[in-house]
Amino acid sequence: MISFRPTEEEKQFADVARDFAAEIREAARACEEAGRPSDVLLKKAEELGFTVMELPESADGLELPLVSQAQILEALCFGDLGVVQGFPGPADADSLLRTAAAAGLDTLTADLGAQPSAFVDALQGESLPKETLRLDTANGGYRLSGNSRPMRGVKFAQRLFVAVADDTGQPAVVVLDAAADGATPWQVTEGDVRLGLLTAGVARVALEDVAVPDDAVVAIGDSASQWLTAARARVQVLQAARSVGAMQAAVDYATMYTAGRKAFGQEIAKFQGVSFTVADMAIETTAARNLVLYAAAQLDANDNAGVQSARLAAARASRSLRFVTSNGVQLLGGHGFVQDYPVEKWMRDGQAQAVLYGRESERLIEYGEALLGKGGASA
Amino acid sequence: MIEFKLTPAQKQMKDLTHWFAANEMRPISMLSDKLGKVPDEWLDKVNKMGITLAAGGGMGGSGSGSGSSGAKKDDADVDPEVKRQTNRTTVIAAEEVGWGDPAIALTLPGPGLGGPPVQGSGTPEQKQRFLSIFTKDKPRWGAYALTEPEAGSDVSNIRTTAQKVDGGYVINGQKIFITNGGRASWVVVFATVDRSAGRAGHRAFVVEQGTPGFRCSRLAHKMGMRASETAELVFEDCFVPDENLLGGEEYYAKRAEGKSGFQVAMATFDNTRPVVAAMATGIAQAAYDYTLDFVRKEYPKSGRLYQLACEKLADMEQTIQAGRLLTWEAAWKADIGQPNSKEAAMCKAYAGKNALEVCETCLELLGPAGIDGHIVEKLYRDVKVYDIFEGTNQVQHLIVARRLYDAFELRI
Repeated sequence: MISFRPTEEEKQFADVARDFAAEIREAARACEEAGRPSDVLLKKAEELGFTVMELPESADGLELPLVSQAQILEALCFGDLGVVQGFPGPADADSLLRTAAAAGLDTLTADLGAQPSAFVDALQGESLPKETLRLDTANGGYRLSGNSRPMRGVKFAQRLFVAVADDTGQPAVVVLDAAADGATPWQVTEGDVRLGLLTAGVARVALEDVAVPDDAVVAIGDSASQWLTAARARVQVLQAARSVGAMQAAVDYATMYTAGRKAFGQEIAKFQGVSFTVADMAIETTAARNLVLYAAAQLDANDNAGVQSARLAAARASRSLRFVTSNGVQLLGGHGFVQDYPVEKWMRDGQAQAVLYGRESERLIEYGEALLGKGGASA
Repeated sequence: MIEFKLTPAQKQMKDLTHWFAANEMRPISMLSDKLGKVPDEWLDKVNKMGITLAAGGGMGGSGSGSGSSGAKKDDADVDPEVKRQTNRTTVIAAEEVGWGDPAIALTLPGPGLGGPPVQGSGTPEQKQRFLSIFTKDKPRWGAYALTEPEAGSDVSNIRTTAQKVDGGYVINGQKIFITNGGRASWVVVFATVDRSAGRAGHRAFVVEQGTPGFRCSRLAHKMGMRASETAELVFEDCFVPDENLLGGEEYYAKRAEGKSGFQVAMATFDNTRPVVAAMATGIAQAAYDYTLDFVRKEYPKSGRLYQLACEKLADMEQTIQAGRLLTWEAAWKADIGQPNSKEAAMCKAYAGKNALEVCETCLELLGPAGIDGHIVEKLYRDVKVYDIFEGTNQVQHLIVARRLYDAFELRI
């Protein structure tokens, strides 16, 4: 059946998330200045289970369907996208863990729990020469080297899941852990991030000829490829859902502001240049949300088309997020540009989100290649 | 539970309609565009097959109306989401006939856009009298006449008058852009009984073909949708009996606030806009499918052109799917009996505009060859009006914005 009605359980969970989002909104500026979400928020997020929704039950997670998670994440990010992106846990690696069992890696999830992790995916899309990682075979083992592009969660991570090609071009997934004293075999390069998502632990990973034991290469070849494809689709949907939350925040705020702000003797909402823009923002947000839910429902049903739908949802969310949050600033005029109002932060966070999660064109080309057959390999 | 699977009945309807679109409509698509009409023998044939146009886009059996919303009384104890799926099924079918040929689709025999107001507001006697004529013996049409030279999107400004006289009303005025208006057996006509009363003065009448004072003055020539008849209608001292006032005198008298013809018209739009959006989505899908096939056959398998095609095809697919889902959402809300003005306007605004953009992109991918003998250029000409009729894109934006500002009690 075609239905847009959430289950009662989803409604209740989303209601809790919405209440929490109000606290998140309130604390967002202070968190941004501190460079991380406050301890109070982190503790509450953990207590409410919002950091383990994607994790499988074998890793003490809630193992929620994507459709449910999408609604909850949207509700949370209605508070503030940047803060939610800084929540502790396995960041996007949770989708790797969620799909590990299907990839025959059940044991991988057993001891992971909600350990701060990051998913350093060096294989998705094209990388610039200075942003490449390399896995070489050496003396019966492996060595990992290179620099990643900026990734979410790297700054806080105690464990890295690295997707990288070996010296024969095969995809591989490597797990690196911090030592007991907290020392990591990788270096974190924080750089000078000012744009947005300043609480999300965004940083680069530098690896200098790090020895990798065989058992740290947890998947290689076709199994790694299939695993990564499945995990990426989930990440794309979950990130797109977060983006929709930020969009809805901008739509609601701009509607409220323009309903009250007066110019030329009347509420500016009465000028169609304003009200039509608000309508466009609302339409764009609804369109993006529906694409997210559609992809989520397909993936939940193990429909093979879900991987392609996730690419479209991700590409659309990226475009829509930029459009909606930018117009959020525009409609507030000069007030939108200053930090007395939240919309400028949402625009910065939105652009950072769009940049971090891959180029929109890249997702579309991936989709097209799968449709037409890459390089003419298949129809 | 949020899900997007068609029911077995909807799947069957979709498959059947698609088969009809591919095997009966497409073969005469380009010919009908060239002739500026759908061949009479074809219309007779499909009418004998029992194929009719219901609610402006969906295909159904004779006399079927599918545009009314809300659960029936005897369904009150059953979840309307499950029990009543008419609007969802209608938009699924409408997309397929739009895919086949939108101009032929609007020419399929049946009550067309006139069906929903009769079904939704007519008395039992009127429903019987006007909807039972769609039988297999010969093709018949209904029509919906709202637009006037000075009242297009601003339907509240209609000037056609209905003066109360003994036993009925005398209608005077002009209507334009009326689909199937010349050939229709009856037309639902909106007129005002009192211009000073504004919208409350509006009434809907069913005017039958052959009524003295009622005539079709002209058929319009158009950039697209050429096979679909678009009529101008004139009413000169046209007497319409009381029994043709839609809903009857009591219908208006009973309501303290007086449910006006305007409200009837607007309620119709909430049901028909998703259908129009669905047809626009079908047109876009048709252009996309044709272009995808062209690219697969004609394009190189690598290089700049290939990359360009990959990106543009994906972008179109995303756009089409977004329009489809917005439309489903509006239809779903109608099915469960919730107000859906905002969603209906959203899907119409989005699908109408973006279907044109999809057709433009398809023409770009076809390149210069696209101008010569490919159906995509016809679809491009056809689809433009989907961003205009049933309320222009700008009107849809106004409706969406009004609903958004309702929360702040601000009337814009």
